[in-house]
Amino acid sequence: MRIVVCVKEVLDPDAVGAYALAGSLVIGDDGKTLTQTTIPTLMNAYDEQAIEAALRIREAGVECTITVVSIGEDATTILRHAVALGADTVVAIPPPAPDPDCHAVSALLSAYVRSSGGADLVLCGRQASDDDQGVVPAFVAESLGVPLVDIARSVTAEDTSDPQSLRVTRVTPDGDEIVRVACPAVVTVSSELGEPRYPTMPMRMSARRVEPEVVTADELGLSGADLEIRVGTVRQTVPTVKGDCEFITGDTPADIADRLVARLVEDRVLQQK
Amino acid sequence: MTEPVVVCTFGGTSQAGQDETEAALTLGRRVGEARGGELRWLVLGSAPVELDAIARRHAVVAVDHAEDAKLDTAGPDARVEAVAQYAAETQPRLLIFNQDFDSRRIAPRIAARIGATAVMNGLGIDVAETGGLHVISAAYGGDTNVVYAPDPSRPCVVALMANAVVAEPAGGSAAPPETRSVALDLSAVEERIEVLEPARTEGPRLEDAEIVVAGGRGLGSPENFKLVETLAEALGGMAAASRPLVDEGWIDSSRQVGLTGKITRPALYLAVGVSGATQHMAGCAAAKTIVAVNTDADAAIFRHARYGIVGDCLEILPELIRAAAQMGAG
Ligand SMILES: Cc1cc2nc3c(=O)[nH]c(=O)nc-3n(C[C@H](O)[C@H](O)[C@H](O)COP(=O)(O)OP(=O)(O)OC[C@H]3O[C@@H](n4cnc5c(N)ncnc54)[C@H](O)[C@@H]3O)c2cc1C
Repeated sequence: MRIVVCVKEVLDPDAVGAYALAGSLVIGDDGKTLTQTTIPTLMNAYDEQAIEAALRIREAGVECTITVVSIGEDATTILRHAVALGADTVVAIPPPAPDPDCHAVSALLSAYVRSSGGADLVLCGRQASDDDQGVVPAFVAESLGVPLVDIARSVTAEDTSDPQSLRVTRVTPDGDEIVRVACPAVVTVSSELGEPRYPTMPMRMSARRVEPEVVTADELGLSGADLEIRVGTVRQTVPTVKGDCEFITGDTPADIADRLVARLVEDRVLQQK
Repeated sequence: MTEPVVVCTFGGTSQAGQDETEAALTLGRRVGEARGGELRWLVLGSAPVELDAIARRHAVVAVDHAEDAKLDTAGPDARVEAVAQYAAETQPRLLIFNQDFDSRRIAPRIAARIGATAVMNGLGIDVAETGGLHVISAAYGGDTNVVYAPDPSRPCVVALMANAVVAEPAGGSAAPPETRSVALDLSAVEERIEVLEPARTEGPRLEDAEIVVAGGRGLGSPENFKLVETLAEALGGMAAASRPLVDEGWIDSSRQVGLTGKITRPALYLAVGVSGATQHMAGCAAAKTIVAVNTDADAAIFRHARYGIVGDCLEILPELIRAAAQMGAG
């Protein structure tokens, strides 16, 4: 079984959140880019969990190869992390033009999957924590003509010795849904899958020297027109939240609680029975 | 039909669903007016009870009703194919979906299939001077907003976030919409995903709750989550949680509020030990009244809250439970 996991490098969303909270998130002169150079980049957490899903399939006894691919100017760091986690091969596809949109990224990813002999399973994170769009997996699935199973908590092969189909637990608003899908398929992984493993020291040491295989758009047979930006970014802004919080104080917790409830009754948010 | 704006819904039934439908119709109408394009409403599967009244209220020019036994289940393949066939016939300029769990998986597939652009997490749509669309979308969970300019030579699929647009009737008296049944051929569609065990919808839904008490990491331990549940019960509401609590297994994921959880819109949202990360607030910002209890006076949640208590939730919660019970008894 060949598993291809698609990963993206993003700004650490917690750091972005911390800057936003401090009111110091700044957009650069281009009106589009977050300027804080101190915000670290890392592998999108859902993508890391997609790798974890692949590793669990392997550990369940499925004979498979795990290829991790990333579109990015310099994906070496996150791809080395993928190796440290247990990926067999890592592939970097530099985008021909900076800031590729979801269409360009999907075109590159699906062309890669096709040209590299296809995949029985393409795993992606449910969305990237920077733009939160989550459309790339759907575009890849449509481009490859395979089903998309989204928001998975677990992904297992129905028959580990003959992985023709998968059993996927989806996290739905009404609880878990268990589905079966034949390979090949695209599956997106959600945080409910659980913490990804932490790479061991020896794994990290040996991953340090790994150079990703570089595949270019040309090699994938894609030209400018295929990779045209279809959703351009005009600008990015930081919305401001104007607070009008009234703090309820009192001498004791009991006092505070009574005052709050009284206010809520006064506002008709709560009804006195 | 010149490049219509189409709002696509799946038989909305709940009140929240209807409000969202009306928000999408409001947005669609505005874009249609600004660009010149009639507003059509594509209803897949069973029609909402008040279809006619809603359509008139929002000056919908035509209601396109697509019915097929294959659309009565939530099977994604039939829905994607149905909208793709409809789009081939109607040539919409803009297709608006209400963003929810189901549309999140089919809207981008539809876009891919019909060669459209796709923008999720939509907050609004402006018409640029050039006549092109500018789609405003939330990024970083809402820490930033991004304005996208989708290629004007292609149709655009937008998923509109809940509570992003306030529904507003068109005003005046609109002519009743033309109603049409859409001819579909879904005979070739075989759902490729087989549901072995459906999700069990048990009990009331968080989305419909009028009172929500949400616990966050500040509770410290899973045992303390019981205080949240007790308070929710005393207030006649439902207990919810931030994502870390779900990740830690303190509570089922169906109770997660936020960007990647439930979008709630209660009259009262009482958050204890929740910091107020934008990804969390995405699921409760539309609450009429937010009350926060947090030890940190600078916590982000206080920016969203109407009332705040700076203090230890473990001290406050038992007293709130008592006060709520007294209110119920008194
Ligand atoms: C792509 C993405 C999607 C996400 N989706 C979601 C989502 O859907 N929902 C969600 O909730 N999160 C989501 N998150 C996570 C989100 O960014 C935050 O990390 C999370 O909401 C924080 O949860 P919290 O407020 O419980 O914990 P913390 O941020 O750790 O906050 C705990 C708070 O408790 C306070 N506190 C501590 N002790 C006490 C006490 N004794 N009494 C009172 N207060 C106390 C602290 O001051 C602090 O403010 C997402 C993140 C990403 C990157």
